Amino acid sequence: MKKWVLFFCMLTIVLLLLSGCWNRRELNELAIAMAYGFDKEGDQYLVTTQVVVPSEVASKTTGGNLIPVVVYQAKGATLFEAIRKMTLLSPRKIYASHLRMLVIGEELAKEGISEALDFISRDHENRTDFFVTVARNQKAEDILKVTTILEKIPANQMYQALQTSADAWAPSAHITLDQLIADLISKGKEAVLTGIEKEGPLKVGESKDNVQKIDPPTRLTYTTLAVFKGDRLVGWLTENESKAYNYIHNDVKSTVGHLPCTNGGKVTVEVIRSKSKLKGKVINGIPQIEIDVRTEDSVGEANCEIDLTKTETIEHLEKTAEKGLKDMITKTVAEAQKYKVDIFGFGEEINRSNPDYWKKVKDHWDQEFEKLEVKVNVDVNILRVGTTKYPIMKLIKE
Amino acid sequence: MGLFTKIRKKLTGASSASAQNQNYLKPDPLHPTLQENIQKIKETLGNSTDLMIRKIQIGKNRKYRIGIFYIDGLVDNKTIQKDIMKSLLTEILGTEVEEKISRDPLPLLKESILSVGSLKDIGDYGTFFSSLLSGETVLLVDGCEQGLALSTVGGEQRAITEPVTQTVVRGPQNAFTENIHTNVSLVRRIIKDPNLWMETRTIGRVTQTKVSVMYLKGIADEKVVEEVRQRLDHIDIDGILESGYIEELIQDNTYSPFPTVYNSERPDVIASELLEGRIAILVDGTPFVLVVPAIFVQFFQSAEDYYQRADFGLIRILRYVALALALLGPSFYVAITTFHQEMLPTTLLISLAAQREGVPFPAFIEALIMETTFELLREAGVRMPRPVGQAVSIVGALVIGQAAVEAGLVSAAMVIVVSVTAIANFTFPSFNIGISIRLLRFGLMFIAASFGLFGITVGLIAIVLHLCSLKSFGVPYLSPMAPFILSDQKDAIIRLPRWALFTRSKTTHPRNLVRQQPPQKAKPKPPKGEGS
Repeated sequence: MKKWVLFFCMLTIVLLLLSGCWNRRELNELAIAMAYGFDKEGDQYLVTTQVVVPSEVASKTTGGNLIPVVVYQAKGATLFEAIRKMTLLSPRKIYASHLRMLVIGEELAKEGISEALDFISRDHENRTDFFVTVARNQKAEDILKVTTILEKIPANQMYQALQTSADAWAPSAHITLDQLIADLISKGKEAVLTGIEKEGPLKVGESKDNVQKIDPPTRLTYTTLAVFKGDRLVGWLTENESKAYNYIHNDVKSTVGHLPCTNGGKVTVEVIRSKSKLKGKVINGIPQIEIDVRTEDSVGEANCEIDLTKTETIEHLEKTAEKGLKDMITKTVAEAQKYKVDIFGFGEEINRSNPDYWKKVKDHWDQEFEKLEVKVNVDVNILRVGTTKYPIMKLIKE
Repeated sequence: MGLFTKIRKKLTGASSASAQNQNYLKPDPLHPTLQENIQKIKETLGNSTDLMIRKIQIGKNRKYRIGIFYIDGLVDNKTIQKDIMKSLLTEILGTEVEEKISRDPLPLLKESILSVGSLKDIGDYGTFFSSLLSGETVLLVDGCEQGLALSTVGGEQRAITEPVTQTVVRGPQNAFTENIHTNVSLVRRIIKDPNLWMETRTIGRVTQTKVSVMYLKGIADEKVVEEVRQRLDHIDIDGILESGYIEELIQDNTYSPFPTVYNSERPDVIASELLEGRIAILVDGTPFVLVVPAIFVQFFQSAEDYYQRADFGLIRILRYVALALALLGPSFYVAITTFHQEMLPTTLLISLAAQREGVPFPAFIEALIMETTFELLREAGVRMPRPVGQAVSIVGALVIGQAAVEAGLVSAAMVIVVSVTAIANFTFPSFNIGISIRLLRFGLMFIAASFGLFGITVGLIAIVLHLCSLKSFGVPYLSPMAPFILSDQKDAIIRLPRWALFTRSKTTHPRNLVRQQPPQKAKPKPPKGEGS
């Protein structure tokens, strides 16, 4: 009996003392942040947060009269300070666990992003699975102030668009925070981030009018990849270079490219599967990288007079494609070597194959990288030609 | 326990006084003269008007006076008329027997005159009254210190109907009634084996309720039978109105939300439990028959699991899902939405947050409001008079379903959570396990609101530990899971095909394990020589 009384007393005391304090927050006490934008203004950080207005998103409210997000901005000497300062504007504390996007202004990216990343990776509330992008030629705050329509929450629009384009159109890459940090820390690989751009005037973009037009005047669009050296942005890749980067990095899920026909016209092939392998070797103290790319393609569009029923035609197409892809990759590697930025992770590959050699060169790897011998092997297999045999163009002419 | 002992000590004086009132039970011998007896009987029963006394005279020259006593309404009037009155008054007139009766009436009455099925001698007031009050007719002969009790039990009683609490789609559709004799016969009709043994005792000083212990000799564990006997004999109470009284007085652990005695109103269920080596306790006056020992999984098994094909046995898994939902539904919701928002998918979080906009209470209070409203409705639904039922259910549906959400008192998501929980709670085949789950649900809600998922985990561990510590008549409550019995798994969470269930469950320690021929033989095979 006594034992039980004691037990219940203890239970009650524990419940009374601990309840309600520890980390308890109701859903309507949260300002759910979907995107952060980091900029530098002078020596201060400008943080922009896109916060969801839940009542405007949910399906039950028929209105949709208001924009479903609100943007809060604050300046501070450090990021954490700036974010806490937001409570001056926001009725609720910023809750960042569901962050989807982190946009870094180009200016800040050029100055170095390591300071920004420390806060965001150290804070216990943040996950590491959101995408990081760079605002090309503009400030991150402008990107976060553009309204979107299909996905009403702009951060979601950015997230989905990046994911879809990375899956179906090779030149963009969805880099999450943990990946980015791993790349920054690694000596054998430099980081890249996809760029994002606002097209059109901000004045229209930040108002509801923008999404009430069938052709919104201001939109967000992804561009090619930004190249980092250390934690500083040093340049931008072209579209083909971005594509080649993804081929080398084994990040192509599916993409589309065109090949010239022998007698004029173009054939478009869709890459269904792509697999690449990096192999590093050190022969007589000279590092060497071999890139093997193997793709499975299908013909998606044929606008020239070719006969796709013949195996020779297919073989010819495969050869052209192999050559094109090889050229693209080789050129991209050469370009990167020119700038001494190893974005492909060749250094890591050398490290894996010959750690002893790597220890010797890792501190001046960019110089070694410049001289690195890179062999590219491409194997293209065209497996399908679609649902029609002959190009319509050929049939009309006959 | 100290508290109870104290109360008992205080009350001992009172209880011994009440025992004094029942001195008629003392074996005072009957008086030889009829008139004296009648006087005393009337006095003892306080001249109750339902006591019927007929005085008749039989034998040569109507020499012997006989008193016939019975309670109106408890007896079958036809039997009294045809088998007692007629035999005594008209059928022996002028026969040889009438001559003989003058010498020693009682043996003759027993052997040659009364054509009633069963009768017994009585010699004292104790047996006199217990026979009289259980519907027997008593004959007292003037000048004899002995009487005869004739079985004339009858009167109005409810017919056998369909079970109300444990329904099946396929399977026998009869249920026990309030009459213990009917109930025993229902079981006997299923198990026609001489090894079906039954012993009856009377429990309850005032109600004198018949309680029968039924078991299959040779299968049931003798030790458990003996334990049941002892626990029943230990009961000293004024009245037994329902088997629940017995259950509470013989169960292993009172301070547990979980029932350790199983009950059923289905004769087929009781028969199957007897075949498993369990012991049934039938109580007069209730259709609910107790079964011991009980184990946890038993409460999630329905009779229908065995009547449909084996794949239907997978439905049991659904019941365990329902168990999880009913136990954890609201607490999980409260924990995740107030402590672990990061665990929700983003879109779900936003939609939940949207529903919570404008709701004035914390999620826990919200859950408490909805749960309490639902419990009120359920209680009203059981308790209210049938004619007003519809009104209450309409109000309930509107209050719970719509008005509360539209008024912004609770969020729609909470209504869904509570409804799912409520429905899950109704899927248990046994009503009493539902009560325990209901109780624990509120407890878990409290710790979920204070400690989040961490609290739920600790709560669940505590529940499992408690379950592990429970025993029902020596059988671990969580068997066959803890202790793990491999051969019993075939009829625990799932049920295997009938041919695979060739041994009885080991949990109840049956003395004979073999249920049927081994599966190799029992499994049906296509006829030989047939082309496929």
